[in-house]
Formats: sequence, structure tokens, C-alpha cells
Amino acid sequence: MASSSSILNLNPYSSLLFNKTTVKKTIKFPSSFSLSSRKRVIFVVRAEMKKIYKGTHMREQQLTEMIEQKVSEAEQVCGEDEVSDECKVAWDEVEEVSQAKADLRLKLHQLHQDPLESFCQDNPETDECHIYED
Amino acid sequence: MAVSTVYTIQSLNSTYSISSPKSHIGFTQKHILLYTTPKKNYTKKTTQISCSTEKPVIIGLAADSGCGKSTFMRRLTSVFGGAAEPPKGGNPDSNTLISDTTTVICLDDYHSLDRTGRKEKGVTALDPKANDFDLMYEQVKAIKDGIAVEKPIYNHVSGLLDPPELIKPPKIFVIEGLHPMYDARVRDLLDFSIYLDISNEVKFAWKIQRDMAERGHSLESIKASIEARKPDFDAYIDPQKQYADAVIEVLPTQLIPDDNEGKVLRVRLIMKEGVKNFNPVYLFDEGSTISWIPCGRKLTCSYPGIKLSYGPDTYFGHEVSVLEMDGQFDRLDELIYVESHLSNISTKFYGEVTQQMLKHADFPGSNNGTGLFQTIIGLKIRDLYEQIIASRAAAPLEATKA
Repeated sequence: MASSSSILNLNPYSSLLFNKTTVKKTIKFPSSFSLSSRKRVIFVVRAEMKKIYKGTHMREQQLTEMIEQKVSEAEQVCGEDEVSDECKVAWDEVEEVSQAKADLRLKLHQLHQDPLESFCQDNPETDECHIYED
Repeated sequence: MAVSTVYTIQSLNSTYSISSPKSHIGFTQKHILLYTTPKKNYTKKTTQISCSTEKPVIIGLAADSGCGKSTFMRRLTSVFGGAAEPPKGGNPDSNTLISDTTTVICLDDYHSLDRTGRKEKGVTALDPKANDFDLMYEQVKAIKDGIAVEKPIYNHVSGLLDPPELIKPPKIFVIEGLHPMYDARVRDLLDFSIYLDISNEVKFAWKIQRDMAERGHSLESIKASIEARKPDFDAYIDPQKQYADAVIEVLPTQLIPDDNEGKVLRVRLIMKEGVKNFNPVYLFDEGSTISWIPCGRKLTCSYPGIKLSYGPDTYFGHEVSVLEMDGQFDRLDELIYVESHLSNISTKFYGEVTQQMLKHADFPGSNNGTGLFQTIIGLKIRDLYEQIIASRAAAPLEATKA
């Protein structure tokens, strides 16, 4: 693990591999440069698997299935004619859902913002708002 | 949203008349009140209170999907303070982000064709035919004039166009997407524009990291997806970079021979000269050509180190200044060392860039030029915003003095 005076060196998205760990780092500004006062920065990385709403979990599943489905569709369509418009559109759809899945993962695992958060606060009884536990 | 700003003017002996500009269509209203308070030193102090609905500063950000726009947005909103969140109580699939000062909308919301429609017509989302530029122009113009709009929502999960959401004019309005600078009318509304130019090798590496964990994807499918998008991307999206005030170019590193992992990056910040309210960042001496390796006696860096350069150049026929960083930060003191040698970064205190980078150390790019330049651009935008607001405030003052 990184030393106390280093920024955690993470690849893009590699933090998604962390599971159920909470890491607390204390970073001190080294005295090798002049700041009027040394600051102590508490740096907390939360990489816990949070409980999510059922509706959000369903959305995740849906996107995963869509990616699989659209990739095989695209491979099929492009197998027939690689430079056709249909081929372009098919891969564009793959890109769209891949990005949507990545955005959802970013929201959930890094930003801890469940898209259904405010809806479920107002409507806790709906099926979508039951807690899904991993 | 009505905001009242209070200006205090020291006046000696002169009298000021009360003037209230007539409001038009009832949307923007300015009320100027003048009063005097007796002061010990006998100078008349007049305070001008002006209330107006927000006339936002409009920022445009262009990039291909999956190219770090959302990271950029979050860094940007963080510079202004406050976390950016989706609108509360609205559509959970909304693409909009709102913080205290900033609203970010995704231009995909202006798709004229939903997923089915595009499939029928055989157009990708990159194609201008799939986007309603008239509506985009109309609504961005309305926001710029301080009028709230009902903006459609494009749902990326279902691929459908959902019922609209209300967008109120904020202080800073950011439009991000594939075509912010495509339409000339929309381009003219922008106070500042940025283009994120990711090279093919880096794009490939990032998309692999994004998608390899997915069941459906393989190396071939990711490659095929990028290849298939290239013609439309080169035809419709790429040409926008000539219009941008700032381009962040991300390339593979030159410090490691034959590196194909795409982890160490060479990032170039290309800044147009002569842009209103925007002074390019420079190293040591504005207008010179500088090459700088900070690692040495005072600073020890680990492999592959850091290399910076700066110099004037031309870009699509415009005069530009280019600041470049190759390598990555391993330690905090490297970051603060580099920051302390940059000029015109519009920080409000020493170490502000480092502090912002630390705040989001878990974001991608926090240890290299992408995070650094995105943060710096965020600070430049804050500076631009403050300059615009100050010049708007000065204008009525000038009018009353006359």
C-alpha cells in the first residue's frame, strides 16, 4: 500500500476491484517546502460495497444483459457487411449501453449516489425501493 | 432564482440619481436602491443594491463518450464548491447534475431520434441528423437570458426520450456532449469552450479498462466498437476542436519507449490566445519556449518522472500557448512543486490546485496531467466567471456616473 505521503495511485476504474475495505490515510505536507503552517489532511478512501435499492440492482442487471445482447447483435450484423450503416449503428448502441453501465458503476461505487435515492426517500414502500443486499 | 448583490461605493460630495432599467417581458428585473448612511468621517457612503435573475455564464465541453467528461464535470463543480448531484425528486435516469453554483446538462438530451429511430434511419448518435440543434439553440439562449426551460431527457438505459425536466438558470451553465460547438448559433452563445481530445491509443486503453469487466465484451468487441465509430467521429465531432478556446489533448507517454499500457500519459493543454477573460497558463516566462524536468536535486521522482514544457504555437490557424506534462505524480510534494512554478493558474491561495487534486484523489487522472489540467481549467473558468460578473456590475455603475 502507498506510504503516508503519497497519493493513492489508482488506474482509472481499478477502485472498483476493492471490496468491503475502508482505508484511512493521513497525508502530511512534507516540510521540504514552505507553507505558513503544516496542514494535516485526513484522506479517507471508502471502497465499501454499499447496500443498493432493488430498482438500481435491476437496472444494473438490465444493462449487463443489454451489453451482451447488443455485442452479439453487432457482431452478427457486421459479419454480413462491415461498412454498412447497420453495423455502425449496432456498435454505437454497444457503446451507449457500455457507457451507461460505466456511469452507473461510477455513481454507485465511487460517488455513493444511488440514482433512486431521492425517489425512494419519498416512496419507500414501492417494490423498487426495497434494499438489495449483496 | 433572484440574487441580490450589494455594491458599496465611497462617494464624496457627488449626488447619484436613482435609475431603474425597465424590465422587459417581465423576466429580468433590476431594482437599484440608493441610500446614504451618515459616517464619522463625513464621507457620504452610498450602497447600491441590485437584484436580478441569473444571467449565467455558459461553458461548452466536447468529447467522445467515455472520455472522462463526467470526471471533468465533477472536478469543475468541485472548484466552485459543493457537490454536483442529479436533480432531486426527478427522473432517476436524468443526465443533469446540479450544484449550488453550477448546472451541467448532457447534450444527448437533444437527440431528435431515440434508439429505435436511429436504428431505423441508420444513423449513429454522433450524426448531426440525430440531434435537434434548433431546440438546443433555443433553450441554451433562453437559459443565457435568465429564463428557465423544460428540457427533454434522453434515457440512456431505455433509449427513449422521457418527459422534460425543469432547468433553472444557474450561475454557471455547462453543456457537455458530442456537439456543443457543432452548430454556429450555439457556439456563439458559449463564453468558454473546451474540447477533450483523446488519442486513439489512449481511448483504446481507457475503454478496455472500462469494459473488460463486462461479460459481453472482449478485446475484439471493444476494438470493433471504436473502429466502427471512427468515420462518424472524424466527420462530425473532431472538427469542433478548431473552435475550442482550450483543448486538452491526451496522448501516450514519450518517457517510456514502446509503452502500450496507457497508464502514463502525456497531456497537452492548448490554450487559444486572445480569448476574452482568459489568460493562458504559462511556465516561467510568457511567450518563451521552455522545457523543464523538475526532478533533480530538490525533488526526487520515481520512474518515469515528470517532464513539462511550454511554448507558443499555432493550432488550426490560431495563435495558441501549449503547456504540456508527461509523466505522473507519485507524491504530494511533486504536485505542489510543479504547481508552485506555474503562473496564471488563477488560484486564490497557494496550493489550491494540489488541494483540489487531493480532494478527488480517487478520480481517474489524479496523478497525471489530465487531472492537473482539468483542475486548472476549472480554476480558469472560475476566474472567467468572476471577471464577467465584475464587468457586468461595472456597466451599470458606469451608466449612473455619466
